[in-house]
Order: sequence, then structure tokens, then C-alpha cells
Amino acid sequence: MAAPMELSCWGGDWGLPSLHPESLTVMAYAKFSGAPLTVNTINNSWRAPKGDLPVLVSEDTVISQPAKILNFLRKQKYNADYDLSAKQGADTLAYIALLEEKLLPALLHTFWVEAENYCSVTKPWFASRIAFPLRLYLPGKMSREALNRILLTKGGPPLYSLTEVEAQIYRDAKECLNLLSKRLGTSQFFFGDTPTTLDAFVFGFLAPIYKVCFPRVQLQEHLKQLPNLCRFCDDILTCYFRLTVSGRSPAGQDTADANLQKLTQLVNKESNLIEKMDDNLRRSPQHPPRKLTTLKLAAGGEESSPMSRLSP
Amino acid sequence: SSLSTAAEPWPENAALYQQLKEEQILLSDNASSLAVQAFLQMCNLPIRVICRANAEYMSPSGKLPFIHVGNQVVSELGPIVQFVKAKGHSLSDGLDEVQKAEMKAYMELVNNMLLTAELYLQWCDDVTVEEITHPRYGSPYPWPLNRILSYQKQWEVRRKMKAIGWAGKTLEQVLEDVDQCCHALSQRLGTQPYFFNKQPTELDALVFGHLFTILTTQLITDELSEKVKNYSNLTAFCRRIEQQYFEGHDKDCSTIAARSSKRSLLR
Repeated sequence: MAAPMELSCWGGDWGLPSLHPESLTVMAYAKFSGAPLTVNTINNSWRAPKGDLPVLVSEDTVISQPAKILNFLRKQKYNADYDLSAKQGADTLAYIALLEEKLLPALLHTFWVEAENYCSVTKPWFASRIAFPLRLYLPGKMSREALNRILLTKGGPPLYSLTEVEAQIYRDAKECLNLLSKRLGTSQFFFGDTPTTLDAFVFGFLAPIYKVCFPRVQLQEHLKQLPNLCRFCDDILTCYFRLTVSGRSPAGQDTADANLQKLTQLVNKESNLIEKMDDNLRRSPQHPPRKLTTLKLAAGGEESSPMSRLSP
Repeated sequence: SSLSTAAEPWPENAALYQQLKEEQILLSDNASSLAVQAFLQMCNLPIRVICRANAEYMSPSGKLPFIHVGNQVVSELGPIVQFVKAKGHSLSDGLDEVQKAEMKAYMELVNNMLLTAELYLQWCDDVTVEEITHPRYGSPYPWPLNRILSYQKQWEVRRKMKAIGWAGKTLEQVLEDVDQCCHALSQRLGTQPYFFNKQPTELDALVFGHLFTILTTQLITDELSEKVKNYSNLTAFCRRIEQQYFEGHDKDCSTIAARSSKRSLLR
């Protein structure tokens, strides 16, 4: 809780804090759970990305995959899933699996394999943010890895050519988008009014498709026909990333933001201390157990459920 | 054409092909085959199980099991569900759109975590590979073909594991993932008889196929089956489906004369 945490990830453009789905997922989760992360976007410096991004560094621990980073944050008491029932937690895992199996291949394809997109948008963008001479090698490597992953997981008979594989993965992705839209319906987030891990993952996968301007955009066009998903992405961008839809962060909001975050941290710390005291008391038989809620940063920055204090 | 296949009724001689049950078939293929069998049983469509050593090569996608119905050959549960639906049988018609989305998500969870864990265990865990997988996979073939084929398959599977980021996992981490998946399935099932309450769907068939196989297959250690046994509603679920859809049905392999010892749930 007290140790500073630093997240290294890919930067953003087109109104997004990051172009990279995994980096975006972690950033969104941090905002939802109120975790104070210092975000370092990779830029044209010699601190070259070692291995896969995003990477979280806290004191001596280095953690690298989104699922593991989120687990770490939860252990540090930054838990966006506090109010979820066990069944909703199970649903979260299932929908994340759906995203990885059905949507990710097409996302990778749009960014890294589709020739026009890769050459005119993805490669120059990533290359401009990596130091020379790594920039000559790394984007190509990421592209090859993406194609490899697609072919190994989705290729193979009866799909014999790359075009057939592509057709299949885009069909799967469009179906996945339809399923997500049906599941979201008219709610603000997937599990009611506060965002959770699932919202972070869906946002991480959808926002790049939604916002990045590619020459070949069949997936984006399909997504734009699902207005509730578009509204979902825009809501998160305006509420949690304090970016207007055009991408500029309004001045003066930053200090208010920082103060609110500090307040949330203090309150969370207090509630953690009280939880510990509560645990001790619970073990002694004469005191009845009390339930505590932690303060969460809800949409618009207002405090949600009030904290119940222990009375001696 | 799909129109003509839809018109034809389900024939009596429909067959499901898998590898040889006693000597050859591996954990993951057995699970997939059982899932399809359960699905067809739930749809009340008769099917004979035929075991062939070269079943993998007969399959149109290289994956097992596959079914031979009329003059159509379809492999893997997903396409088989679609095929059966085109013939007018479906288990998930009664679900609303949100439930269908949920069902598909949970099926991906099983494929993503359970099936991948089974593949990891049988092809990436050195002890299991040496003692179980290699001997079984190559058993119908003479030396050196048996070794060559199983090394080839192992290389293929390890490549895929590397591409999806599982190559770096330890066995403990894989078992953790299995536990997480079982926990999610257990929570979702709760106290209901099936995942969508009263009627089974393809999700129930898929979960049954994998969990039952894990519970009844003897591996080097019991760690995998112990993970499933921790959840009593899942073992009860498997027992219920076994009793309802598999007991009293003849499921002989045509290459095995006598009925092999019945696999029933232990303890």
C-alpha cells in the first residue's frame, strides 16, 4: 500500500491513454480500483522495453502479465471486484476467456498482420516510440509473433489458406462483439453501476478497435453498429481518464484528481486498519462481527457507499 | 449443400470416431470425445463409437472426435453442435440472448483453461510425457515410427503453448489455473442440476466430458483429479450425467469384443 508502484507501458494516441490492449486493461483497472500508479509510457529513450509490456515495478517486485498485475493490485487492497458475488466472479473469468479466444486474434490481425494497417499505422507508431536501433527490429518481431499466434491457435485444417483463417477470425470477432453487446444491454458497466475487472478487460480490448484510425477497419465498422459498446468506451474515457473525446486533458482537473486520489488512499488505508482491528475483535467471542465497505472512486468522483465505523 | 443435409433425418448408422480406448487415446482427446457423446445423448441422437488407430488422420481438421453422419464428416464439438442444429436439434434454443452469451463464454473458459491444462500436462510435463504420452500415442505403430510421430506431435503442441504464453508456466501454476477454472464452474453451477437449471445444454456436455475424464483417468499423480474433487457439486454433476445418459447404454468399441471395465466414479 505504501510502496510506490510504477507501471511501464505503451503510450496512447487517438484519444486513448494507450494503444496496447494489455496496457490499457491495467491502466483502466488501476483507475477503477483507485490504485496510485505512476505511469511511464515508453518513449524514444534508451530505457528499452525488456520483454513484454505492461510491467509493474514496486520496490523489488517486477510483475509482467495483466492477470498477474491485477492479482498483485488486489493483494495490495486495490480491489475493484469487492462487491461482486462469487457467480459474478466466475462470469468474469468466462468472459475474459471469450475475449482472448474470439476477439484477440482479430485484434492482433488488425494491428499487426493486415498489411496496409501494419505498414501505414502500427509500425511507424511503435517505431517512433522505440529507440534506435531496436526500432528496426522490435515491431517486426511483434508482427511475426502475432501472425504466429493466430496461425497456431486458429489455423490448420480445414482452413488451408491465410484468407480462410482471416475470414474465420473476423467472423468470430464480430460474433464476440455481438455477444458482449447483448450482455451489456443498457447497463453502464457489466456488473451494474461500478466498473470491475471485466470492464477493464473489455475496455482494454475494445477501445483500440474503436478509436485507432486504420485504413482497413472492418472490425471498427462492426463495433460502431453496437452503440452500447461505443458508449461504454466513451464513458470510461471521459470519467476515468479525464480525457475529452478529442483527447485533451482539461487543465485544473489534475489537482482536484490528485487530491481526490490521496483522499481515497487515506480512507482505504484507514478502512484496512479498521478491518484488521475488526478481525482481531471477531476472534474474541463477545463482539459480534461487523461488515465494512471500502471506499471506491465511482464515476464522477463521488464517494459511493459510506463507511460504517466500529463503535467500541 | 447445407440445405440437403438439413433435410435428411439423423441416420441409424451415425458413427463417432476416436482413437483406441484402452491403449492409445490421451486425456484431452478422451475428454473431447466424451463431451460429444454426452451432447448427442442429451439430444437423443443415436451414435456408435468406433475406435480406430488412425482416427486423427481421418478427421477433416486433424482434431478428434469426428462424426460420420450420412455422407457428412464433421469434427470437434463446436461444428458438431452447429451441424446438429441444422438438422433441427438444439439444446440451447430455450435460452435468451444473455444466457446464450454466457454459455458461449463458459465454453471458451473450459477450452481456454481446462483443455489447455490437459494438453500441457500430457505434452509439456516431462514425467507424464515419458511414462504415459509417448507410449500411448505411438502404440499402434512399430519403432521408430512411434517415436517420430509422438515427438512431432509434442513439438507441435509445445509451439502452440509458447505462442499463447503457457510454455513458461510451471506445473503448479497450471494446476492453480485448473483450480481457478473449477472454482468458477462450481460457483456458476451452484446447487442447480445443470448450468442452465433444468435442461442440459452443450455447456453441460463439455464440462462433463472434461471433468469426468479428469476424475477417472489415472495419471502419474492424483493432483489433477484432486483439484476437481475439491468441489463436491462438480463431482455430483458428473455422477448425475453419467447415471442419466450413460448407464445402460452400449458404448462398445467395435474393435474390442468384450465390454471393457466400466469407468465409474471412484469414491
